[in-house]
Amino acid sequence: MGYSRPIHNMTSNNLAVSLSGVSKNYGSFTAVKNLSLNVPNGSIYGFIGPNGSGKTTTIRMILHILQADAGQIEVLGKNGTRAANDSIGYLPEERGLYKKMKVLSLLEYYASLKGMSRKDARAEGTRWLDRMELSKWTDKKIETLSKGMAQKIQFIACVIARPQLIILDEPFSGLDPVNLETIRSAILDLQRQGSTVIFSTHDMSMAEKLCDSIFMIYKGEKVLDGTLSEIQSGYGKDTVRLRVEDGARALEGLPGIDKIMDMGRYLEVKLQSDSNEFLAALMQRTRVQLFEEARPSLHDIFTRIANPQVNERTHE
Amino acid sequence: MNKILAIAKTEYAIAIRSKAFIIGILAVPLLMGGSILVQKFMKNHVDTTDRKCAIVDRAGFLYPILESANAERERNVVFEETESGERKQVRPRFLIEKYTETGSPEQTGIELSRRVKKGDLFAYLIIEKEILDTDSTAPGRPILAYHTKTPTFEALPDWIGSTVNQAVLSRRFETAQLDRSLVQKLSKRIRLTSLGLVKVSKDGSSTAAKRESELKTTGIPIGATMLLYMLVMTATPMLLNQVLEEKMQKISEVLLSSVSPFQLLMGKLIGIVTITLTLSLLYLGSLYFVAWRFNMTDLIEFSTLGWFLLLLALALFMYGSVFSAVGAACSEIKDSQSMMMPAIVVIIVPLFFLPAVIESPNSLLATALSLFPPATPTIMMLRIGLPPGPPIWQIFLSIALTGVFTILCVAAAGKVFRIGILSQGQTPTFAQIFKWVFSK
Repeated sequence: MGYSRPIHNMTSNNLAVSLSGVSKNYGSFTAVKNLSLNVPNGSIYGFIGPNGSGKTTTIRMILHILQADAGQIEVLGKNGTRAANDSIGYLPEERGLYKKMKVLSLLEYYASLKGMSRKDARAEGTRWLDRMELSKWTDKKIETLSKGMAQKIQFIACVIARPQLIILDEPFSGLDPVNLETIRSAILDLQRQGSTVIFSTHDMSMAEKLCDSIFMIYKGEKVLDGTLSEIQSGYGKDTVRLRVEDGARALEGLPGIDKIMDMGRYLEVKLQSDSNEFLAALMQRTRVQLFEEARPSLHDIFTRIANPQVNERTHE
Repeated sequence: MNKILAIAKTEYAIAIRSKAFIIGILAVPLLMGGSILVQKFMKNHVDTTDRKCAIVDRAGFLYPILESANAERERNVVFEETESGERKQVRPRFLIEKYTETGSPEQTGIELSRRVKKGDLFAYLIIEKEILDTDSTAPGRPILAYHTKTPTFEALPDWIGSTVNQAVLSRRFETAQLDRSLVQKLSKRIRLTSLGLVKVSKDGSSTAAKRESELKTTGIPIGATMLLYMLVMTATPMLLNQVLEEKMQKISEVLLSSVSPFQLLMGKLIGIVTITLTLSLLYLGSLYFVAWRFNMTDLIEFSTLGWFLLLLALALFMYGSVFSAVGAACSEIKDSQSMMMPAIVVIIVPLFFLPAVIESPNSLLATALSLFPPATPTIMMLRIGLPPGPPIWQIFLSIALTGVFTILCVAAAGKVFRIGILSQGQTPTFAQIFKWVFSK
């Protein structure tokens, strides 16, 4: 292998990224408000949040493309400068590739901007193209590639310089299942080799599968931060999933209900009281086909926070 | 610095392989060769259709003269002998017809105009009888009137004018009993020859003043100025489009995760400067080759070439930074068209002063303009080429002022670039852009 820059992932406080009281305003609009966040070295950290909630602004501040108006940002042990940028790989949400450049030349160029020599970049680029099954396209222009292939090239451009911190903004959008699996496996390999991965996504199931920790930002403020089980336990004890013969009508007037969400094949009910008492009362009304205590999915939690009105009826 | 050079190197490598660059290299020889070919083609494809003209000779003596002059023209001018010895028609024939008036002058005009409209005649000529008088004219009418519906064809009226004038002059001399050839000899004009100065060397010997070539004293300075202007006008809007395209395709965002906005801007500027200098060296090299082929290398001063390249580089940095900033600020190509207008006006306006500078290259106006940085590249280039040339301190002062101004432009453009390159949605107003310039 031509390039063997060691990945030093241990900073003094074992954090790859540390944000403390960070704010960013665009005129009178506050994009990020008093945000604090710690991303441990070697972890896969998911950034979730609705469009326009402040994810991209946060990522750009970590990259020092944008300057924070307030607060401290430390990246790979470097405070408030672009010094760490050569050790960061960034895949933006919208792909940015020179259409007229040839695949390997483009990878060499992007790697050279990270301080890698052209020779090492060529060797590393060739290795990645092999792995992504794109060897045949080495000397083809970017404009001749399919969307999925271009996406994989963008991913290689992001990781070619073996960054310590990899920031991926929607890395899976537009990929078919085979390519999606290729990228997912590459991300896990990079983590195993010591890289820290931050990725922003709207695909909640992928975030559940891949992330060690999840951070959610909503209207510029942090609303979730922790491991999936920590987050779910915060939302899960008061909720049951059930299916009854008479549907949601059977629940009308029952005591102890806070909210009912119609999920289609079943109802998700948030309770104010004990679930056994509620089950007993329900069985007296109708035949119960399904009843289980639910750990809400990330999707459900996201929806509850970002849009409480969706599929939800508040019990009167 | 390595990153700036990496960007410049890639920009250069992409550009020199691009179609636009190859077209740019070929454009000048193609245009020059093309114009020679077109001229050659046109020479062999002259419209030789006969032009028929009716002549109303109220003076009474000119028609026979015109008739015999036309016969002579047909013998000597209309046909030329080719290399193989055959006679080939190279110009149109004029068929002249004497028109005898039967009615009033108005009726003559109506009748002949009708014939021209019908296509029976190409034109008609009315010669008044007062044509020999030197101090009186026919009442309300020109003395020699040429009527046609195709005034753009000038060969016929030119020939008539010159033939009639010669005949009338001869008749006037005869009337005054003067020998025309003697008058022509006595009134021969003296030619003024323009020369340079006598050169005195250190040992006191002198070299006679040489005749100044107009090509060297005027042609080359104007040519160099126009070449500089053309290169700036081609390269800088290209930079704007490139920056805007990269912004729209989100390439800028990827680049900015590795380099600072200033590094990106500088890389692009160095790229465009080196590309344009390469192109201009190719042009200048070919021009020097042509001059060498025709033994005219003494027309070219190497110091002028040096100043040309330096002023070109400064102009590209100065205007390139402004155009890049405009590209970064805009979100759509159509917005950039209107936003670049003020910058284009600043480049073009100095050209309006070229005639005044050529007339008087060391005047106060020329000096002031050449020291005004946005106008320095074009005006100082012209002044350097035009003899006697500006004092050397003025050249250095203008370079220094333009250098400082360019640094300010790059710094201001860097700020606009930094904010603009990531902004989306509506293109900012000029007021907002000025705010960005002064933001921290």
